[in-house]
Amino acid sequence: MTNLTYVSVRKTFGPTVALEGLDLDVKPGELISLLGPSGCGKTTALRIAAGFEFADSGAVLVSNADITRTPAHKRNMGMVFQSYSLFPNLTVANNVGFGLRTRKMASTERHHRVAEMLELVQLTHLADRYPHQISGGQAQRVALARALAVQPQVLLLDEPLSALDAKVRATLRDEIRRIQTELGITTLFVTHDQEEALAISDRIGVMSNGRLEQLGTPRDVYRHPASAFVARFVGSMNELPATVTGTRAVDVGGHSVVVDRITQHDGASVRLLVRPEDMRVVADGGLPGTVTTCTFQGSATVLGVRLDRLDVLTSVHVAGVADFNPGARVEVSIDGERAVCESLS
Amino acid sequence: MDPNFQNPVELLPIDPEIGGQPTAPTGLAPPSTGRPRRRFGRLIPNLVLMISAIFFLAPLLTLARFSLQNVPTILLGWDTLFKKWSLNGLTKAFDDPAFWPALRLSLQLAVGTVALTLGLLLPTAIWTHLRVPKARSLIEFMTVLPYMIPAIALVAGIKIIQPHARWFLNSDLSLIPFYVILALPFTYRSLDAGLKAIDLRVLVDASRSLGAGWGSTVLRVIIPNLRTAIISASFLTAAVVIGEFTIADTLLKETLPRFQATFTSREPQGGYGLNLLALLVTIGLFITLSVLTKKRDPKRKSFARMAADAASMPGNPGS
Repeated sequence: MTNLTYVSVRKTFGPTVALEGLDLDVKPGELISLLGPSGCGKTTALRIAAGFEFADSGAVLVSNADITRTPAHKRNMGMVFQSYSLFPNLTVANNVGFGLRTRKMASTERHHRVAEMLELVQLTHLADRYPHQISGGQAQRVALARALAVQPQVLLLDEPLSALDAKVRATLRDEIRRIQTELGITTLFVTHDQEEALAISDRIGVMSNGRLEQLGTPRDVYRHPASAFVARFVGSMNELPATVTGTRAVDVGGHSVVVDRITQHDGASVRLLVRPEDMRVVADGGLPGTVTTCTFQGSATVLGVRLDRLDVLTSVHVAGVADFNPGARVEVSIDGERAVCESLS
Repeated sequence: MDPNFQNPVELLPIDPEIGGQPTAPTGLAPPSTGRPRRRFGRLIPNLVLMISAIFFLAPLLTLARFSLQNVPTILLGWDTLFKKWSLNGLTKAFDDPAFWPALRLSLQLAVGTVALTLGLLLPTAIWTHLRVPKARSLIEFMTVLPYMIPAIALVAGIKIIQPHARWFLNSDLSLIPFYVILALPFTYRSLDAGLKAIDLRVLVDASRSLGAGWGSTVLRVIIPNLRTAIISASFLTAAVVIGEFTIADTLLKETLPRFQATFTSREPQGGYGLNLLALLVTIGLFITLSVLTKKRDPKRKSFARMAADAASMPGNPGS
């Protein structure tokens, strides 16, 4: 079992800082997702692990062996790319066997291994097809089989699902997780899709401007975001103007809300970030507002409510089926336990 | 026809202003003009094709008649179209002692030029695409310079260096570097287009992540996916070399074009016959190669068969 470690890795491209002191340890058999917006450095981190880019400073270790300057072809990493990376001149079977050929594996052993990998991704029947004869989802499964065939120390997945349609994406996401768990392979998964990251990961690393903003389990990252950036990026947030009224309380439109973590001083004007599911429609004692929209989403109904005193449009989740006409008057309470206070700059 | 059918157009009210049916009845399709328009639509491309065919074939046919018919030029007309065809002129060319050495030299030059061109340009084009994509336009500009600078200017340059580089220019194969320059516009653009058509960076990264070094990546991934571009580049280069006269004549190299020029001045009929043959052989080769490059290897063993063979091997873990 292998672990992948980044030690204070820094990487710049001209004046642009792509990674700023990245420290990360992917434990053996663990799947960590690097989540963040475009240009946050997540793909650079992956490419540094793969050996396609070299760090300016810091180190990359695989099972405590320093591979910072090892060329890509000597690293024994398996990688699946965002775009379909199958070799167009080779059949599916030959694509899967490519890495084994470069390792000069005997022909019989190679065919056996290729068959095993194709069975793992359930594509044995497509072995003789060429990449242009298979669908995008199948191509990514072949790419996964090809990456796994060489029994890599670490599996690197660079947004492998982003080019696929929603249904195939969900199926393949589950399949990647099944295979990863089955093989127990240490995996680094890069994505900008929070839903994907929440569904597939043991831990999520949220990145912004080349820095790791938060590393934690999907539940932690969602429920207890470490910063306003994480709170906004993972899931949706209501942003309410508030004033700090104590070490654990803020005033929102005349209502006192208890908040777990406040770093601002008493009397400071802040922005309170609250998840839609932490706001509830109550019969009495809440912030009054007017329903602007009512959207049924299957398991929940999402209300758009304009709060009178704050003149802020908020999103409120109501479990199950709820029927509110636009213009209806409601009162909304705030559960601030998991909210984040952001200073107004 | 259905006896109850009523033409909807006839049901429309008469426009009192115009005194007839409305010209554009709402909700109804405009009257079909299908057949005549389609026929007219086909006519233009067919006409263009016919004119192009006449443009290209007429000179070839007249060349063929001049060189392969033993009829005085003044008498070449419709009534002599099928009279006195003969390969005598060509045979004279083949029997000339200078013909085969000239052909051999031209072929050697073609092979050498193709090899040097690909050897230089392929790594350059790959490197440019991968590492310095911004330099692509500069390189493209440089490679089209031979279009703008005539071959005679190159010859003038060669004349200047000739006294200092006789050791090199005395060799027949010294033409190769000059031919590489002449072929640059065709070869680089062909390779560049081929590289643009594949996702080069991802293919290279995928190959390297699977343990292939640069050599293996170029040989097993890039070149097979650039097959068509490489073949086009090679044939364009060969065509340039086999047709080049100016530099060969200046350096007094007995290449095929030079032989053709001297032979044509002695035996016009045979000389033009030779030109025609060279043209037809080139066209034939191009057609053959375009067909061959599309064909898959029919002898390729299916994976199921290979896997079954592997499974049945004694000592195999899967057997």
